[in-house]
Amino acid sequence: MAIRMLSGPGRPASPAIRALALSLLMTGLCVLGGCSDTADSTDPVLEIWAHAGQARERQTLESQVARFNRSNADLQARLTLIPEGSYNAQVQAAAVAGELPDLLEFDGPFLYAYVWQGRLRPLDDLLPRRLIDDLLPSILQQGRYRERLWSVGTFDSGLGLYADRSRLQAAGIRIPTLEQPWQRDEFTTILDRLAEDDADGQVLDLKLNYAGEWYTYAFSPLLQSAGGDLIDRRTYAHATGVLNGTDSVAALSDVQQWIESGRVDPNIDDAAFTTGRTALAFGGHWNYPRYHQQLGDDLLLLPLPDVGHGSRTGQGSWSWAVTADSAHPEAAARFLAYLLRPREVLAMSEANGAVPATRSAIARSPNYREGGALRLFVEQLESGHAVPRPRTPAYPVITAEFQKAFERIRSGSGVQATLDQAARVIDNEIVDNRGYPWLFSGKSEP
Amino acid sequence: MSGRRGLSDQTPTALLMAAPALLGLLLFLLLPFVLALAFAFTNLRLGSPLPLEFVGFKQFLRIFSDPGFLQALANNLLFAAVVVPLQTALALGLALLLDQGLRGTLVYRTVFFMPVVFPMSLVAVIWLLIYAPGPAGMMNQLLDLLSLGHWQPRDFLRDPALALPAIMLLSIWQGAGFQMVILLAGLQAIPLELHEAAALDGAGRWQRFLHVTLPQLRNPLIFVMLVTTILAFRLFDQVQIMTRGGPDNATTTMMFEMVQAVFTRQQVARASAMTVIFFLLVLLVTLVQRRLARQEGYRP
Repeated sequence: MAIRMLSGPGRPASPAIRALALSLLMTGLCVLGGCSDTADSTDPVLEIWAHAGQARERQTLESQVARFNRSNADLQARLTLIPEGSYNAQVQAAAVAGELPDLLEFDGPFLYAYVWQGRLRPLDDLLPRRLIDDLLPSILQQGRYRERLWSVGTFDSGLGLYADRSRLQAAGIRIPTLEQPWQRDEFTTILDRLAEDDADGQVLDLKLNYAGEWYTYAFSPLLQSAGGDLIDRRTYAHATGVLNGTDSVAALSDVQQWIESGRVDPNIDDAAFTTGRTALAFGGHWNYPRYHQQLGDDLLLLPLPDVGHGSRTGQGSWSWAVTADSAHPEAAARFLAYLLRPREVLAMSEANGAVPATRSAIARSPNYREGGALRLFVEQLESGHAVPRPRTPAYPVITAEFQKAFERIRSGSGVQATLDQAARVIDNEIVDNRGYPWLFSGKSEP
Repeated sequence: MSGRRGLSDQTPTALLMAAPALLGLLLFLLLPFVLALAFAFTNLRLGSPLPLEFVGFKQFLRIFSDPGFLQALANNLLFAAVVVPLQTALALGLALLLDQGLRGTLVYRTVFFMPVVFPMSLVAVIWLLIYAPGPAGMMNQLLDLLSLGHWQPRDFLRDPALALPAIMLLSIWQGAGFQMVILLAGLQAIPLELHEAAALDGAGRWQRFLHVTLPQLRNPLIFVMLVTTILAFRLFDQVQIMTRGGPDNATTTMMFEMVQAVFTRQQVARASAMTVIFFLLVLLVTLVQRRLARQEGYRP
């Protein structure tokens, strides 16, 4: 009925004008609504974004923020937790929209992309000198780019080989050290010898169920031990010739060989080592509590095998940086310094099991101090056995391509051809970005 | 012809009335598409400090030499080729059963339709639990029971041969209810007289289905298949939540590749070029399908 009335011939245009006015009004409301979001920018609030992480990690950070706020009346830190799964995508989107917080947490190897985009502010003039000197060298390595310190973590990660002492002894296998790790051929022999007493011959757990960043984190050290790498570290200009060079191909062929000869448990249930199906397991610091509970004194933590140029291992974890547009960089640094107090570093390390980032905290940590069960992780980080993931804005692409390549190699594809393809994509990306030229010389280059 | 009085009086009013809707279409459909088309010929990246450049057809050439995208295209086609006929057949079967007027029809109709009401993300999470690897997984247990203990537990979503079929199965389960409702409405619109006449002529159940039911259901069937095909090309939620395109691209789709390009690699230009290809492809499929099965009783 109503429709017919409105469309009748010769009607005055008022309903149409009303409709137009309504739509204009709606648009106006949207604009106003958008404006009211940014109205409270004058408050002395320190905005902090962090990843949501595991429950204990999250709770620790929340209580750290609360403690900080109680002891700093002039400053209010406000924590926003963002789910880990899409963390980087969300931060990137916020960066484009110009809505980054004062203090930002991100996964360490993403640092260089943020710096290149001009999103961050250097930390070396914000943090006290003695605090920086107290940090583990691996934390500084990861946080440095173009001769400035941009980010620091409150913890670092550890990667090693967990082993069942009784099974090694039963098979008459020597227990290696960081100075004398298992050699390449020795390791293959060890796998075969352990397999003789194993029901299904699968004696090694590579955590193949983890997928994702684990592949890059856990297996690029093998490439580096063999003399290869993910990218040319001198120029950061190309992966071809390095990622698909003889040494890298040899290292991943070894891994493929372990898998194809049936020595590797697929770890579908994430319990290959705890149920005793394997005698050896690649693993990180986060595996320790469960492994220790299961194996007790039989649990050994060993360095990864040396496949040519000494044992290499992974490093790096979540880290913090102050954003370039932050109105309160000093306050952000004050909060960061608070998180790096020994007490707070230890609290976080207790919550997530990671290696404390400062030497003063390590000295007080039962697991990581001299003689502690996980001391090897600290030694690896201090002695240069731990290699930071490539320090280039191309890292997101490098790791994505390496993960794809590893997935293919793991399921039997030719190692050389697969790595050729990955290296080509990485090189394309670097060329597309014109080698990541430094564009902020006026702002923060020394 | 436009000079007729009366009509010319209304045109401005009509345009004015349509303005809000047209403005919406322009802002939220046409503009993004035109932008995507324009971006596809540049090097645009989210957050990149480098200047914007025109790169011609480079993005398109790259995309068509990328094994990942070609695999995604193949997966989409395979998914559509398997899911569209199976899901339509299942929906038709369910609709026919419900059309028998048996007791409890309402209950069954609700049960069959329920998966449609749940958001796909929820369905995917539930099926993630169903496909849990190891002997404790629900699907593994079911297959163990059905095979009288001969089934070896599999990790469905990480098995290159099983991952895509696993996603197909849950998609069919989730989507069949919607098509069933449409087909059921179509079935109920078929005049009883036709069936009676056919029965008088001596047609059996099967012949009546073939020569009365199917021709009468022609339009709903075409609609259902068209919509399912388009949805098959838009496959994304299940992949994002359950497999992230893996293992080794076995479940990647065009939509997934686009989202990966723009949100994990910040390659807006590349994703835009993919969108353009995607749009043209869906348009082509739709046109071909419409041509092959022209709807009857449709007068433009």
